[in-house]
Amino acid sequence: MDNTAKTFVIPNELCRRAGVAASWLSVNEFGVFGHQKTPKVDKPSHFAPSDASVFQLRPDIILFKPILRKLVNEANGTFLTLQALVATEGDHKAELLKLSRQYRSIIRACLENLQDEVMRADGDYREELQNYITIFYSVECIWHLCEILFVDAVPGNIVLPHLLDWIRFHFPKYDRNAASMLAGDLGGLESHPDYWETVIGSLLQGRVKVVRALLKLHSEAESQPFRIVDQCLRAMPVYNMFSGTSIAEFNLQWNHWVVDVQSKIDAKMFISCYNLNLIMKLTVGNEIAWGEIQQYCETWYEMLAAWLFFTQPTVKSFELGQFAKQCITKMSIGNRIKHLDRMLLAAMEFDILQVIKEIQNMTDSGWFVSHLTDLLYHSGRLSDTTIETIENFHPDKLRESFLIDYGSLLMGHKSLWQVGLSYLDHCPSDGPEVTKLLLARLPLNSEMRAEKIVREALNRNLTETAQSICKVQGMACKNRGRLGHALAWALKSQDGTFVSFLSNKFLREYAESGDLNSIDLLDNLGSCILASDRLMFLGKYYEFQKLYQANEYKEAANLLVSLLESKIIPNFFWSILLTDAIPLLECEKMVFSSTDTYIIMQCLEEQEKTKDLKDKLPILRLSATRNLARALVHEAQLK
Amino acid sequence: MFEAQEINAEHKDLIHDVAYDFYGQRMATCSSDQYVKVWDQNSDGKWTLTSSWKAHSGSVWKVTWAHPEFGQVLATCSFDRTAAVWEEIVGETPGPGERGTRHWVRRTNLVDSRTSVTDVKFGPRTQGLQLATCSAEGIIRIYEAPDVLNLSQWTLQFEIQCKLPCSCLSWNPSLSKMHPLMLAVGSDDPNPANGVKVFIYVYSESCRKWTKMDAITNITDPVYDLSFSPNLGRSFHVLAIATKDVKIVNLPHVYDNPNSQNVITKLDAQIVAQFDDHESTVWRVCWNVTGTILASSGDDGCVRMFKMNYINSWKPIAVLRGDGSQVSNEGQRSSVSSTVGPQIQSASQTARYIKLGAISQPRDVPWH
Repeated sequence: MDNTAKTFVIPNELCRRAGVAASWLSVNEFGVFGHQKTPKVDKPSHFAPSDASVFQLRPDIILFKPILRKLVNEANGTFLTLQALVATEGDHKAELLKLSRQYRSIIRACLENLQDEVMRADGDYREELQNYITIFYSVECIWHLCEILFVDAVPGNIVLPHLLDWIRFHFPKYDRNAASMLAGDLGGLESHPDYWETVIGSLLQGRVKVVRALLKLHSEAESQPFRIVDQCLRAMPVYNMFSGTSIAEFNLQWNHWVVDVQSKIDAKMFISCYNLNLIMKLTVGNEIAWGEIQQYCETWYEMLAAWLFFTQPTVKSFELGQFAKQCITKMSIGNRIKHLDRMLLAAMEFDILQVIKEIQNMTDSGWFVSHLTDLLYHSGRLSDTTIETIENFHPDKLRESFLIDYGSLLMGHKSLWQVGLSYLDHCPSDGPEVTKLLLARLPLNSEMRAEKIVREALNRNLTETAQSICKVQGMACKNRGRLGHALAWALKSQDGTFVSFLSNKFLREYAESGDLNSIDLLDNLGSCILASDRLMFLGKYYEFQKLYQANEYKEAANLLVSLLESKIIPNFFWSILLTDAIPLLECEKMVFSSTDTYIIMQCLEEQEKTKDLKDKLPILRLSATRNLARALVHEAQLK
Repeated sequence: MFEAQEINAEHKDLIHDVAYDFYGQRMATCSSDQYVKVWDQNSDGKWTLTSSWKAHSGSVWKVTWAHPEFGQVLATCSFDRTAAVWEEIVGETPGPGERGTRHWVRRTNLVDSRTSVTDVKFGPRTQGLQLATCSAEGIIRIYEAPDVLNLSQWTLQFEIQCKLPCSCLSWNPSLSKMHPLMLAVGSDDPNPANGVKVFIYVYSESCRKWTKMDAITNITDPVYDLSFSPNLGRSFHVLAIATKDVKIVNLPHVYDNPNSQNVITKLDAQIVAQFDDHESTVWRVCWNVTGTILASSGDDGCVRMFKMNYINSWKPIAVLRGDGSQVSNEGQRSSVSSTVGPQIQSASQTARYIKLGAISQPRDVPWH
């Protein structure tokens, strides 16, 4: 196996001497500490006494930088639009192309933003921003090429016009210079230091009309060589799919034109002006001339487009790879080829898997690879027959693995977790399980956040996860002494034991202090009251208190009796309940019937031994007896 | 590229174990100095020591967190032949402890072992609060707190004789009700003639019994650590084993059939990956939260990371090693200590930020 692992050094002497071990903290953060085999005997290690440190390591994730927040959020919007689109029936080619452009415009906006910022920044931050610009510039460049080659359905595979567009977009220098020169509309432009460079540069980017316009502004534009050049360029055939000319016909025209221009060169018609001669030699593909102008091309792919424009105007997209390689050889830069070059070359060779493999190495935290792979997958580019032959290749799994990684990464951020979730939502095979793992692990720092997380869990039918989160939050509230919140969370978690435990705590607190807390919650229990017997008792007792305070003595008395009859009274609460009966028994208006009073008396006898009741027993007995007498007389009169 | 924060753990000897809580916001460390320390991460990401106490009268080997459903609960095990369960109490009343101050109380001391307790782990949360320990005398014990709201009551539910000295254990983390409880236990017995060193036990709800499975038969070298991967709805369980190399084993699911009298005792385990990258004995294995990256540490003094790709094959992605000669102040953030008051200043003495770049890159490899 080839060893492809990167090595990182922990700058610590003890870690060197003892060796290191790691414990994971999350998906991609971990702690590293000096560690050795656990000994069998208990004696100080030969490192003791030592200064043991733990190193918390986390990858530098550029997507978490505030300046890139917009990129993350906007790309998420496009991603979701794309998922909604492919969920519908039909052919989506045109829409997918639009979405691909949308992604690119997001990158463009991000780059512009970075460029603005870099003007204001200084020092390390400036360097950092410049680093991002390099990364996203490459992303934009590759995305654009991939769009042309893999997403756009180029008619007849005639790729050159798109390729030229791509080059002009990424190397706008010549266009810009030409525009400013032409805007001046001055004669004698050749005195401009960039004049010939701009003319040749524009020619290489296939801007024939611009070249002619620039040449017209030369002070010798009316001389013979200039006029012939203009004629030649005007006559230059340009292939157009929709002109009705077949490729064979076009090639014939082209060859004629080349022969014509070549004969004029041979007749030394342009020899008086070096640059004109060079231009014409370029148009006929003269190798020496092409060797000379390499300096006008910053990169091999700029050169490639230019070379193809004049030598292979009808090149098919699948032939690009071989020409690209020739071009690299010609420029003899094979040994200086960079990461970006490798990626572009792989794309031109239609080696999509290689492209995907390479773009993983961009330090953009997986933004690019996950979005592009998803787009390519939905464009059907990952299920091409050429790829399918590779053993063990599953396009859906490949797509999903990137989305899972990207989604999990965002889940680790305190405000991007919902964005992360939306990626996991679109991973049919492992998404739900990863969501379950990560959603439950989101720190519940505040009540509001906890509620949000629970809502997200319920939206995904993760009832069990939601309940567990509620329970954790309930437990945390309980430990902080916030019983009301704890009870609310316990109810949501539907954990009967926990609800009973908390209700009990409420009752005990009341028994000790005489205060009933969290009135709001008890007011709004509704059907939740059925969650546990203890809660039911708490709720009913609270209702009793309310009735009593509202002077609704009759209703309060009825409720009290039904509570006494029920079997849900906690032992420690008997004395309170019976004591509560005293003022009602002594009430001016009679509120207990004889039957009610018998019930109270029976409870009294049963609870005779209750310690707290001891000193109240005589009063209770007396009140009960008096009330019984009242009730019996009253009831007798009614008969 | 990594950003590292150095935390001076203030232990007087090597740290034996570092465990993070469920959310990765709290860290517990233990050491031969018999102390356990708990660290909390504040909202700026800085770690500070919030508790430190002498937990045992011998080296503390392992520390582990219970699921937060049960509150803030830790378990430790030690050379002093005990395992202990600790709960954090938040001061409620202005008294000796101010309101809001925290301290850890020992809820129980599990003293059944007659030898060093080598590992301790809480069971999956869906099964209530269960705790498994294993010991050098070769006995696995499973305890349970029948009332999860009262952690001072623990009952010893099972004692499983393993016959060989046990070094490590791991619960299968599956929360599915379809999967019965499963435990993997490793032995560091050095004699290959004593046979297999990894034991798989499965609990049958219907028989109320743990049964040893005939599963991994070809690992006879001493085993120092093992760990089940988080279950991702896969059709198999994944177990990482630290022995003379790193091994990754797939175990098929077991289903508890209450109607069947025949208890299954055989499992077809498959070794799906082996890494001898350490070129020496492997001491520890640890999975990340989603089970996509495995970290192992070995006698070569390095931590090595392995990542699973989309077709379930594994490859090494990173190596970490210590080197004191490379200490530099470059990239150190000093703003923290200069701008704020004394409290944070003292904290900044224990926490230090460093940027870590890769030192050798045979080829750029994506972290992701």
